[in-house]
Amino acid sequence: MGSSVVGAEATALVARIHAETTWGFGRRMRNAFVSVLARAYPRVIGAAREPSWLFFDLVFPILGMCSIVFLLRSRGVDEAWIGSTILATALLSFWISVVWMMGAQFHWERDSGNLLLYITAPVGLGSIALGMAIGGALGVVIRAVIITAAGVLLFGAKYQVADPLLLALVILAGVAAMYSLGVCLSSVFLISGREADHLGSLLNEPMQLLGGVYAPVRSMGTAGVIALGILPLAPAIDALRQVAVPQLAATGFLPVGVELLILLVMTIIFGVIGRVLLAYIERVGRAGGKLLARAD
Amino acid sequence: MPISAGSLPEVRPFGPLRGGAADAARSLVASARLAWAIEGNWAEPIYLAAFLIVRPLAFLGLFLAVLSIGGALNVATIGFVVIGQAVFQIVSAALEGPTHALLDDRERYRTIRYIFATPSSLLPVSIGRSLVKASIAGFSALIVIIAGMLLGVPMRAGGPDLLLFAAVLPLGLLSVVGLGIVLGGVCVQLRNDAWAYPQAVSSTVFLLCGAIFPLEVLPGPVQSIASALPITWWIEGLRRALLGTTSPGILGAMPTNELLLILAVGTAVIWLISPRLFVAGIDRAREKGYLDRNTAS
Repeated sequence: MGSSVVGAEATALVARIHAETTWGFGRRMRNAFVSVLARAYPRVIGAAREPSWLFFDLVFPILGMCSIVFLLRSRGVDEAWIGSTILATALLSFWISVVWMMGAQFHWERDSGNLLLYITAPVGLGSIALGMAIGGALGVVIRAVIITAAGVLLFGAKYQVADPLLLALVILAGVAAMYSLGVCLSSVFLISGREADHLGSLLNEPMQLLGGVYAPVRSMGTAGVIALGILPLAPAIDALRQVAVPQLAATGFLPVGVELLILLVMTIIFGVIGRVLLAYIERVGRAGGKLLARAD
Repeated sequence: MPISAGSLPEVRPFGPLRGGAADAARSLVASARLAWAIEGNWAEPIYLAAFLIVRPLAFLGLFLAVLSIGGALNVATIGFVVIGQAVFQIVSAALEGPTHALLDDRERYRTIRYIFATPSSLLPVSIGRSLVKASIAGFSALIVIIAGMLLGVPMRAGGPDLLLFAAVLPLGLLSVVGLGIVLGGVCVQLRNDAWAYPQAVSSTVFLLCGAIFPLEVLPGPVQSIASALPITWWIEGLRRALLGTTSPGILGAMPTNELLLILAVGTAVIWLISPRLFVAGIDRAREKGYLDRNTAS
């Protein structure tokens, strides 16, 4: 027979267990912060340790950029469009990261078994997603800079940035809105099973077309207007083109300030929807047992 | 009971080319059926059709939107891009197909060891998987061409040049599948990012083969490399068969009979070399134990 705890000792024990398992706001915030840092770390440091990842992250966008530049040159268009193409390719590297390293990530984590660890650890999926977003964005910055430098060296593009602060603000707002959408996509990918990889493919070229990445969004007509309201790529690239390539400012669909506001609203709305979706998916997944199961 | 030499069963050599022609044919058919089950059966038919239609049309739309920056498009330019973009769907699928099939079997389904334990052979298995991927991509190509016709691209008067089409299509397809199996034999050796190499090759070929812009736009030395690719002449041959016109510049300057000769010689050279390279690659991977590993990439 083991010794039993009674009376005041039992009350103290219950109080201690309660204190240890009921986290206050401060502790929850600290825990979330540490979780975000921990998930962001491999995105920045781990990626730098694998040179082949860096190689392929650069090769594909640069080859795509070359195709578009040669296509433009075959039509003898204004060289300002070459500069715009280079910037669009750099911005696109964030979008590709959002689709594959945010959207598809939980799907892959489930297949590799890591999602099970996330669920059993005292961390929320929201913190994990935020860590992936921050780490992913920081990791892609260096790639975007290299792509831009390579484009400038290969094709001699020139930029006239009158307001560097505005340029930084446009890039920051665009990246924030894209990664915020990525949090939503991670839930969608998680429930899409075997279709996840194909869903990722569908979010590349069709979105590049709708988002007016290489050609003005106004050339997309009504689809372009809709894209400006729901696809962060569209206002981000349209504003970036107006700020960094003034010769093309006339092709802008909306004033830069309005597009910044759209991106800010997108960041907030997608963030809230993403948080709700993740909580829902986690609850349904725990109840149904499907969240933890391999898709194939 | 003593066993005479005559009663011994036929001993099959090990390696990716074991078995007779009948075994190879059975392997090819079985792998093609398997490839269809994997590639064409991953979703409800409506989703599959949407995927096969939306992505290639988006690609086409993207290129046409970029071209329209330079002013109003004429139908000849649209036709050039439409056929190039359509055919490249098949090129891309056939180039990447064998590598992805090998890596899928090794790492995702973990069935490559069982293929070795059967009378099947990896070469026909890889070719079968690649051909089905190319056929599915052919559907996307057809959609792109129909979209082009709806945009007003004038096709050859009196219908396609069937004789030229029948000569060019199999030659080009064989050359691309041949290059694809070489890539498969190489990529199975790699530890990191083996999945990405065929896509990198495919993207480079896309840049070089004059699929969406004339070769004259490329820098001088790169034009020579582009002219040496059979895929360049395959796309041009199919343009002539379907559109009935020649492309501008270097591509159009080549007489059709010489184009066919280049394509035939290129395909023959590729098939003289590619099975040997594939066999050597698989043999090496088997010796080094690469056929049974999981790179988790």
